[in-house]
Amino acid sequence: MTLLNATIGYTYMVNSLELDKVTVRRLEALGLTRGTKIKLLNRNRGGSVIFMVRGSRLAVGKKIADSIQMREA
Amino acid sequence: MKKVLQVGFVGNPNCGKTTLFNAYTGANLKVANWPGVTVEKKEGAFKYHDYKFKLVDLPGIYSLTSYTMEERLTREFIMNSDVDVIVNIVDASSLERNLYLTLQLIEMGKPVVVALNMMDIVEERGMEIDLHRLPEMLGVPVIPVSARKKTGLDILMHTVAHHKDKYIDPNLEHHHGKYTKEYSKHRHEHHEEYPVVYSDLLEDKIDEVSERIRENHGNIDNLRWYAIKHIEMDEMAQAKYPIDSNGIVHNSYEEEIINQKYDFIEEIIEEVLVNKAKKAAVTDKVDKVLTNSYLGLPIFLGIMAFVFFLTFQIGDFIKGGFEGGLDAFSNSVFNLLTVIGAGDFVTSLVVDGIVAGVGGILTFLPNIFILFLALAYLEDSGYMSRVAYVMDGIMGKLGLSGRAFIPMLLGFGCTVPAIMASRSLENMQDRRKTILVTPFMSCSARLPIYVLFSQMFFGKNAMLAAYSMYLIGIAVAIIVAYVMNKNSEKSTQNTLLIELPEYKAPNLRTILIYVWEKVKEYLTKAGTTIFAASVLIWFVLNFGPGGMVSDMSQSYGAMLGKTVSPLLAPAGLGMWQVVVALISGIAAKEIVVSSFSVLFGIANINSVEGMAGLTQVLADYGFGALNAYSLMVFCLLYIPCAATIGVIQREMRSAKWTVFTILFQLGVAWLVSTLVYQIGSLFLA
Repeated sequence: MTLLNATIGYTYMVNSLELDKVTVRRLEALGLTRGTKIKLLNRNRGGSVIFMVRGSRLAVGKKIADSIQMREA
Repeated sequence: MKKVLQVGFVGNPNCGKTTLFNAYTGANLKVANWPGVTVEKKEGAFKYHDYKFKLVDLPGIYSLTSYTMEERLTREFIMNSDVDVIVNIVDASSLERNLYLTLQLIEMGKPVVVALNMMDIVEERGMEIDLHRLPEMLGVPVIPVSARKKTGLDILMHTVAHHKDKYIDPNLEHHHGKYTKEYSKHRHEHHEEYPVVYSDLLEDKIDEVSERIRENHGNIDNLRWYAIKHIEMDEMAQAKYPIDSNGIVHNSYEEEIINQKYDFIEEIIEEVLVNKAKKAAVTDKVDKVLTNSYLGLPIFLGIMAFVFFLTFQIGDFIKGGFEGGLDAFSNSVFNLLTVIGAGDFVTSLVVDGIVAGVGGILTFLPNIFILFLALAYLEDSGYMSRVAYVMDGIMGKLGLSGRAFIPMLLGFGCTVPAIMASRSLENMQDRRKTILVTPFMSCSARLPIYVLFSQMFFGKNAMLAAYSMYLIGIAVAIIVAYVMNKNSEKSTQNTLLIELPEYKAPNLRTILIYVWEKVKEYLTKAGTTIFAASVLIWFVLNFGPGGMVSDMSQSYGAMLGKTVSPLLAPAGLGMWQVVVALISGIAAKEIVVSSFSVLFGIANINSVEGMAGLTQVLADYGFGALNAYSLMVFCLLYIPCAATIGVIQREMRSAKWTVFTILFQLGVAWLVSTLVYQIGSLFLA
């Protein structure tokens, strides 16, 4: 499952990030490391999402949202 | 004798760094660009006790990798400059994420003092932070401050002065519950030296690499940090202290290092954060409305409409006083010059050239002030990054990420910083596209043109006419981006990635300092560029091949204008005076207005009488409402001002691209204003 088909208001655990190295490093620096819990807060019609990770809110576009592999926590 | 302490302010974006910096330095700061690049660094100084503090505000960053320019510059600054102490501003309401940068800074081996900001938000949420335990675990002092309420400021600088020679407090105390068992068995005794100790595997490698660096380059500063960067395979560290790392570094251990830092942060959070967030943050409630799938966009458009309403209505309301002042000033200057017996030449230069040109521009200050106030408010409240999210879908269709919308939005203020803001976009293709379309977003320098001509020709609908300029600008920007996207072989990826900070009541001081800087820039521009241009225009218009002329149509300016004017005839702008005004407007767009003052000898162009006079004169030339609208469109779209051309060249580093941008925008301006004039003529005929 990815952030794109997750349910708003639920918490998930990050399995892996399937993206280019630089984007992965940037996400990791923001706290999105493997095993981290994230909570999906909002998603708009274009597929961009807002989620909570380690106490801060991030917004990512559809492509990144769909590359964050996770499981239910 | 006073000792000088250089203090670098480092922190995440939105941690309140600039507010804290302003609390110390006020508005007297020096904004400079880094040598060779246009990343801003701010410097300010003040005295406290026996020290003179020199503060440097560095760009907001999340990490110290070498992937972005801001991060590289901050790194370089810390490693190479003679900075004495790093003040790391930490947003307490987002402690976990903020500590990641803190750990990296501590690793760099310079004295670090943590300023824990936004404790009030933490308290509001019913949380508490153990301020005794936190410094024990980090090994550096932690000082709670409030940048907004200006508390803790003296204590912070006191600590900085006392801590300037210490890297790590010797009373470092860790338990390392489960993490010790997993990672490290104290073989290295690093636990007494460093807050972050990695797994045995990594620590062994760090030790070995350190040893090799020492063998090759002697005892360098920040050895451990360079060793860590080496096992991350950081290119800049490898280039600076090259070693043969065969047999030690097989692949980049960057991911492990990030993960283990966060593991340590989890440990800290567990020990220092009491009563983890129980109350739902207000931000989430506000976001439910402002970032709503259906309401988000209409709300944003409503806010922007309101901003422009304020700009025109309130701005015009205040403007009255300015105009009266200018009239009185112009008359007294004229009288003074007559009394002291100055010749016609000097009187004309001063009254018709300088006072009319520069003074006319100053009367638009209220409009500009309101516009920047509104933009600063949007930026400081945290709404700007929501706009990136709301616009991401639409921008995606143009092949841009929602983030590219922020520079475009800032373009309503001034194109120069807006183009610099495009630096936050990661890929070059996105930046190029954003830089090309940002000048179409109507900047505040074009505002005087709209205010003047729409009030002259559109009466009750003046605001509507002016507002339509902004819409046309946005539409052109969208069309250009769309066409570029269709024609680029590589389909761009949607890579929005932005933090949404907590909403906060904007800080009056931060906003006023920001607006004051803009007003100062505007006044400086009026005093320099516009002053010089007004004098130049006066000369060009009052002198011809035969010396000083009494009829401007015999002047050099008229000769030039008449040569070019046939080209602009299809757009309804085939008057030599208009051509002269447009050419001079390249120096700065307000000068289009100044030029009209000088051209038609109108002392106070922005007053009711001034406008009536100009309308009358223009009507004699057959220049009516449609011509005025076409002129407004042309001014909106044509060649960006000299400062913008400069910044495009600096950012793109390509003369070819800069020239293309100029020609392209000239072409678009001609095309659109010709369409407006020709289609408009059909309806009016």
